[in-house]
Amino acid sequence: MENNIRAAGISKSFGSQVALQELDFAAAPGEIFGFIGADGAGKTTLFKILTTLLRQDAGKAEVCGLDTDKDFREIRRIIGYMAGRFSLYGDLSVEENLKFFAQVFDSTLQENYELIRDIYVLLEPFKKRRAADLSGGMKQKLALCCALIHKPKVLVLDEPTTGVDPVSRREFWDNLKTVAAEGITTLVATPYMDEAMQCDRVALLQEGRILQIDRPAQIIADFPKAVIILKTEHNRNQLIRKLRKLPEAESVFSFGETIHVTCEPAIKGKLTAAIAAAESGISFQPEQAAGIEDCFLYYMQRADGRENN
Amino acid sequence: MKHFKIFIWKEFLHIWRDKKTLLIIILLPIIEVLLFGFVLTSEINHVSLGIYDQDNSDWSGELTRSFENSRYFDLIRLYNEQDVEKALRGNRVKAVLKIKPEAEKSLQMGESGIMQLLLDASDPNIARTIEVYIMNMSSRFMKQAGNRKNLLDVQQLMYYNPDLKSVFKSVPGLMAVVLMLICAMMTSVSLAREKETGTMDVLLISPLKPGQIIIGKMVPYIAISFVNILMIIALSVFVFGVPVRGSLVLLFLFSGFYVVCALSFGLLVSTLVNTQQIAMMISLAGLMLPTTLLSGLIYPIRNMPRWLQMLSGVFPARWFVETLGHVMLKDSPVYYFLQPLGYILLITVILLLLAARRFKVRYD
Amino acid sequence: MAEKIIETVNLTKRFGDFTAVDAISFEVNKGEIFGFLGANGAGKTTAMKMLCGLLLPTSGQATVAGYDVYRQSEKIKLNIGYMSQKFSLFSDLTVWENIEFYAGIYRMPRQAIITRGEKLLQDLELASQKRRLIGALPLGIRQKLAFSIAIIHEPRLVFLDEPTGGVDPITRRRFWEMIYNATERGITVFVTTHYMDEAEYCDRISMMVDGKIKGLDTPANLKLQFKEKSMFDVFLQLAREKSHEAL
Repeated sequence: MENNIRAAGISKSFGSQVALQELDFAAAPGEIFGFIGADGAGKTTLFKILTTLLRQDAGKAEVCGLDTDKDFREIRRIIGYMAGRFSLYGDLSVEENLKFFAQVFDSTLQENYELIRDIYVLLEPFKKRRAADLSGGMKQKLALCCALIHKPKVLVLDEPTTGVDPVSRREFWDNLKTVAAEGITTLVATPYMDEAMQCDRVALLQEGRILQIDRPAQIIADFPKAVIILKTEHNRNQLIRKLRKLPEAESVFSFGETIHVTCEPAIKGKLTAAIAAAESGISFQPEQAAGIEDCFLYYMQRADGRENN
Repeated sequence: MKHFKIFIWKEFLHIWRDKKTLLIIILLPIIEVLLFGFVLTSEINHVSLGIYDQDNSDWSGELTRSFENSRYFDLIRLYNEQDVEKALRGNRVKAVLKIKPEAEKSLQMGESGIMQLLLDASDPNIARTIEVYIMNMSSRFMKQAGNRKNLLDVQQLMYYNPDLKSVFKSVPGLMAVVLMLICAMMTSVSLAREKETGTMDVLLISPLKPGQIIIGKMVPYIAISFVNILMIIALSVFVFGVPVRGSLVLLFLFSGFYVVCALSFGLLVSTLVNTQQIAMMISLAGLMLPTTLLSGLIYPIRNMPRWLQMLSGVFPARWFVETLGHVMLKDSPVYYFLQPLGYILLITVILLLLAARRFKVRYD
Repeated sequence: MAEKIIETVNLTKRFGDFTAVDAISFEVNKGEIFGFLGANGAGKTTAMKMLCGLLLPTSGQATVAGYDVYRQSEKIKLNIGYMSQKFSLFSDLTVWENIEFYAGIYRMPRQAIITRGEKLLQDLELASQKRRLIGALPLGIRQKLAFSIAIIHEPRLVFLDEPTGGVDPITRRRFWEMIYNATERGITVFVTTHYMDEAEYCDRISMMVDGKIKGLDTPANLKLQFKEKSMFDVFLQLAREKSHEAL
C-alpha cells in the first residue's frame, strides 16, 4: 500500500541540543502509528516537523506525497493536530469550539458528522458548557473532535492521554480505532507503555533516536532475552536488591504485583532454580510471558549502556 | 472570507467572555477623563486671595468688589504687612494683591506701578495661572471703568483656552494613552495567549493565513477603540465643554491612523514574546510609560531636554496629540496636519515591516 | 496497633452546591504507602489540599501527623513534604540552590543542610551537577531530585501528586525504589497516580469516585472484593458503575 507519511534521515538540533538524529519511518493509510518515549525523547519535535511548524535541519519528510518544507500550505489543509497541552479555547463552549474549528477548515459539523458521531454523542449533553469546565477525559474528546472535524487525511496526536485517568484513556483509544477505520493515518505519541499494544506499529524513541520500530507482537517475538516472573509474600524492595546481586540476572524490575528478572534464555531454568533455592515465600508465574514493556526496558537499558561506555 | 469571519466571531467571544477585562477597557477612558477633568486640574476655582488695600478709595473698593464677585477667588482682607506675611506663610492665601496708598490719585496722574502682586510660587504652575487671571481681571476692570486710559497695559495672553482649562489639553493626550493601551497591549496579550495555550499551533496548521490571524486579532480592538473615542469626546464635550472646532470626520480619520499605528506596536511586541505576562510588561514599560510621559500629557514637550524631545518623536502619541490639538482646539488649515500625520504613517510602516519580518509561520 | 499518621472522619468539602469531597473517612498507618486513586475530577486533589492544610474542610474531622487540619495547619506544613509532577523544582535555580531553598523553608540548621544535601547528591550520583541549572537536567533526574528534596527535612509524611507522569519506564521504577527506601526510614507516603501497575506497589489503596471512597484495602484484597484480575479492571468496574448511576 502507498504510504501516507514518509520520513527519511530527519535530524534536528536546537543549538547544541540534539533533538532528533536521522529518523526514518513510514506510515500507511488507516494505520495507527505510535511513538513511545519519555518527555524529551523528541516526539514533539518530530510532530512539529511533520505538521510543518518546524523545519528539519536535514532529511526529507512527506505527507500524502507533499514535501513538509516546500508544500507546507497544502499539508496544513489535510492534517489534524492535537497537542498534549489542552489546545482549545477554554472560554468558548463545546459548541463554539467545534463551530470555530469546522469553519476555519472550511467545513461544518454536519458535513463530517459520521466521523465524529461516536465521540460527539458523549459530548452533546455538555455542548453549552465552557471547555475549561469539562473533565479531563471530556476535554480530550472535544479536542479530538476539533482535530477531526475537517476529515483530515492525517491525524497527529501529541500525548493526547497524558494525565488522563485509565478509563478515559481506554475510551479514547476506542475512538481512535473508529477513526483509523476511515482510512485516516494516525500518529500518536504517548509515554504509556500499555498503549503501545493498541497501535498497529510502534517506534520506541529515546534521545532523538528510534531504538526499535515494528508491530508490537513482532517486537515481543524478537525479544532476545528470557523473563522470569515471580511474586513474593515478603518485602519486595529487599528481594529486588538481593536479586540484583545475582550476576546472571541482567535486570530486575517490579511490574505491578510481580517482579521480572531478565536473563539469557539458555540459563532461565538454572536461574529460576537458584532463586527458588535461595529465597522463601516466592511463587513463580510461568503462565505469564514477557510483554512489550519488558522489551522496551531492555532496549532502553541497552541504549543507556552504550552511551555510558 | 468565511474563515476570516469565524475568526473575528471567535475574537469577539473571547472579549465578551472576559467580562472583567471588558469592563476595564470600557470604564478606563471614562475614569481617566473624569480624573483629569475634575481632579488633576490646573484651572483655578475659589482660590484664596489676600487683599491689602492701603488706598481705601472708591476706586480700590470697586476693584476689590470685582474680585469678590468672581468665582475664581475667595477674598481675605488683610490690614498690615504682618498679616500679609502670616497669611502667605500659613497657606491661608495663595496670593496677595497689595493696592498702594494713594493708588487712585497716582492712576489719575498717569503713573503706573500702583499695585503689587505677591505670589506663593511653591507651586509654580498655579502661581503662574493666578497671575494671569489677576492681570486679566484687573485689565478688564480698567476697561469697564469707563473712559480712563488703560495704564496697566495688560495683554490677554491666552488663546484657544482662555480659562486655561487643563481638560482641554488632556483630552488629546488621554485619547493617545487609552488607544495605545487598548490597541497595543490588548492585541499583544491576546496573541501571546494563543501561543501560551498552544492554540497558535493549531491556528498555524489550519488554512487560516497569517495575515488573517493578525488582522482578525486587530478588528475587534479597532471597533472597541472607536467606541472609546466616541465616549471620550462625548464626555469632554458635554461634561467639560471642550470644543471640537474642526471637523469630526478628520478627527475620526486621524484617530484611525493612530489606532493602526498602535496596533502595529502590539503586533511587533507579540512577535517578540511567548507569554502574556511578558507581553503585558513590555506594553506597560515600553509603550504606556513613554506614551504618558512623552506625549505632552503630563509634561510639556517644549520644557524637555533636547534628547527627550527627539525621543518623544519616536512615539506616535506625540504626533497624535499635536494633530488632535489642531483639529479640536484650533481648526487649523490642513497643511498643519501633514507633518505630524506623516510621522505617524512613517512609524506605522516601519513597525509593520519589522513585525512582518518577525512573524513566523514556522518556528525556527 | 500501628500508629496513625492520617485520620479523617466524614471529611467533606463543598464548592457552592457542588460536593467535591463527600464525607470520606480513612486512616493511614505510619510507614505505609497509601495509594490515592480516582478518575480526573473525582476529588483527589481537593482531598489532598485539605490534608496539606491548604484548604479548609466544609465539615468533618481530620488530623495529619497528629495535628488538626482546622487549627494547626502551620504545624502540619512543618511535618510533611510535598511533590507534584506539575511543579517540582525551580528550573532557573541550580541544583544546590534548590536544595538550600527547600531545606531553608523547613528551618533546617546550616550544618544539617550541607551534610544532608551532600549525601542526597551522592545517593543520586549528582555531585558533579551541583552547580547546574535544574532546567538543564532531564525530566527523570529532576523528578528523582525533587522527591529527595521533598523529604530532605525527614518529614513524617510525604504527599506525591502524580509524581511519575511523563517519565520513562526505567526512571519510574527507580523512583518507586526510592519511595520504598523512604518508607524503610519510617516516612509515610501518600501518592496519587494514573499508572495502574504503580497501584500494585502501594500497601493500601483507596479508590475515589465522585467524591466518595468506593473501595479501600490492599491491592490483593481489592481484586478479590471486586472479583477482577487487575487493578485496572477494578478501576474500570468502579467507573462503569458510576456511568450506570448517571443513566
